[in-house]
Amino acid sequence: MQGVFFLTALASIAAVAVICIFLFINGIPAMAEIGVFDFIGGQKWAPSNVPASYGIFNMIVASVYVTAGAIVIGVPIGILTAVYLARFCPKPLYKVLKPATELLAGIPSIVYGFFGLMVIVPFIRDNFGGNGSSWLAASIVLGIMILPTIIGVSESALRAVPESYYEGALALGATKERSVFKTILPASKSGVLAAVVLGIGRALGETMAVVLIAGNQVQIPSRLTDGLRTLTANIVMEMGYSTGLHRQALIATGVVLFIFILLITISMQAIKSRSEKHG
Amino acid sequence: MKKVLAKITAITVMSALAVTAFAGCGSSSNSNDSSDASFDTSKTITVVTREEGSGTRDAFTELTGVLVKDGDTKTDNTVSSAVTINSTEAVITNVKDNDSAIGYISLGSLNETVKAVKVGSVEATAENVKSGDYAISRPFNIAYKSNLSEVAQDFVDFILSSDGQKIVTDEGYVTVSDGEAYSGKKPEGKISVAGSSSVSPVMEKLAEAYMAVNTNAKIEIQTSDSSAGMQAAMEGTCDIGMASRELKDEELSALTSTTIAKDGIAIIVNKANTCDDLTVDQIKAIYTGETTVWSDIIK
Repeated sequence: MQGVFFLTALASIAAVAVICIFLFINGIPAMAEIGVFDFIGGQKWAPSNVPASYGIFNMIVASVYVTAGAIVIGVPIGILTAVYLARFCPKPLYKVLKPATELLAGIPSIVYGFFGLMVIVPFIRDNFGGNGSSWLAASIVLGIMILPTIIGVSESALRAVPESYYEGALALGATKERSVFKTILPASKSGVLAAVVLGIGRALGETMAVVLIAGNQVQIPSRLTDGLRTLTANIVMEMGYSTGLHRQALIATGVVLFIFILLITISMQAIKSRSEKHG
Repeated sequence: MKKVLAKITAITVMSALAVTAFAGCGSSSNSNDSSDASFDTSKTITVVTREEGSGTRDAFTELTGVLVKDGDTKTDNTVSSAVTINSTEAVITNVKDNDSAIGYISLGSLNETVKAVKVGSVEATAENVKSGDYAISRPFNIAYKSNLSEVAQDFVDFILSSDGQKIVTDEGYVTVSDGEAYSGKKPEGKISVAGSSSVSPVMEKLAEAYMAVNTNAKIEIQTSDSSAGMQAAMEGTCDIGMASRELKDEELSALTSTTIAKDGIAIIVNKANTCDDLTVDQIKAIYTGETTVWSDIIK
C-alpha cells in the first residue's frame, strides 16, 4: 500500500519536473537567439516588425507594479481582518465572516475580471480619468483576490501565539488593542510575512482577471490610471497566433515568470525555517 | 446542524451582497446611456487595438499605413498607449462601454451595439467591400500556372462553389462569387498550397471541407507570406499560391489569379460618438498617436 502513496507523491514531482524541462528547453534557446540582455532589458516588444523586437523589460516592471499595488491594498485589509477574526470577533459574527472570506477564494478569476471590467473600470474612467483599464484597476482587483490567502494564513499564525503573551500584556495594564498589536502581532511576524509572500505569488501569477482590466499596453505607466501589460497577460494574449521565434519568446517570458515564482517560493521556505528555529 | 445553518446563512448573505453589487452595476450603466445625448468631444481618444500576430491587426495596420514598410524592414507604428485586446468580442465590449473609444473588427463580426463609421464617405457593408469601394478591405487571391492539375482545378471549383463560399462567410469574410453547389468528379491527387498567413486560416477550413467531400485528394498548406506564395507558384514548387493583396504585374504575367474572398475591416466607435465619417489618413493619425482628441476630428 505504501508503494501507492509513493507513486502519488512522485506524480506531483514528475509534473513539476516536466514543466521545468519544457519551459527551459523551449525558452532558453529563444533567449539565446534574442540575446538575454535584449530580452530582459529591452523596452520594445514588436514581434510582427521586421526585424522583430522582443524586449520584456516593461512587462517585468508592470508585473512588479501591479503586484506592489495589490499588496498596498490587500495587505493592510487582510492583516487587520485576520486580527479581528482571531482576537475581537464575536462568535456568531465569526461564523458568517469566516466562510465569507473563504468564499472569496472560491470565485473563479475570470469572474473577478468581469466584475472589474463592469464595475471598477467604468468607476475609474468616470472619477479618475483615463480610459479605466489601468494599473489601479488591476491592483484593486488583485488586492481583493489575495485577501483570502492573507487572511487565512495570518489568522492561523495569530492563533498559534501562546495565550500567555496576551494575558501577560493585559496583566501589565495594557489595553486589549495594545496587547494584540504589541505582543501577538510581533510574535506571529514570520507567519504574517509568509502570508504576504504567498499573496505576492498569487498576484504575480494571476492572468485572466488582469488581462481583462489592465489595458495591456507595453509601457511603464507613469500614472495610476495608465494601462500596463504583465508577463502573464503577454503570454495569454499572444499565444494563440504566435509562431516560430515569437512563440518561443512567449515561452521564455514564462521562464522569467517561473524564476520569479521560484524566488518567492525560496524566500517562503527561508521564512518558514527561520520561524521554526525561533520557535 | 448548527454549523450547516451558519454556512447557509453566510452563503445567503454573500449572494445577497453579490446581487446588490450587480444591480448597482446595472443602474450605473443605465445612467451612462442617458448621458449619451451630449458627446464630449474634448475627451482623449481611447485607441483600442488587437494583439501582435492577430490577422485583423495585420490587415488593419497594412491597409491604413500604420505599418510602414521600408525595403526589408516593417515597423508597426501603433501608438504605445493603445489598449490591447485579444478578442473581437472584447474589442466590441470596450468600445460599447467607453464613449471615447475607437476600435476595429472584421466586418463579419459587426453588430448593433457599436457604430461602424464610414471610411472616406463609404459605408462599411459587404456590398461596398465586394465592389472595392470600401478602402479598408483587401482581396484574398489564389494564383496558379496554366498547367493546373485536374485535382487542383477541382479544388478551385470547390472554393468558388456555393459550398466553398459558405465557408468563407462562416469565417467572417465577404464572398465574391455566387457559384452553384459543388459537383466535381472527385479526381485523385495531391495539391500543395503556399502563401499568405492571412489567407491560410480560411484555406485550411476550405481544404478540410474539400477533403471531406473528395476523399481521394490530399492538400498540404504551407504558411509564409503573399510574396513567397506567388514566388513558389511561379517556380512550380506549389500548385496554388495564396496572396492577401492584388497581384503585381510580373506575377500576373506568369500566373492566373482568382479572388476567393474579400476581407473588410470595420472601424467602430461608441454609439454616442457623433463622428460618422473618417478618412484613412485620419484613422492612421489616430492609431499612430498624432490625433489624440475627438475635437480635432469632429469640427
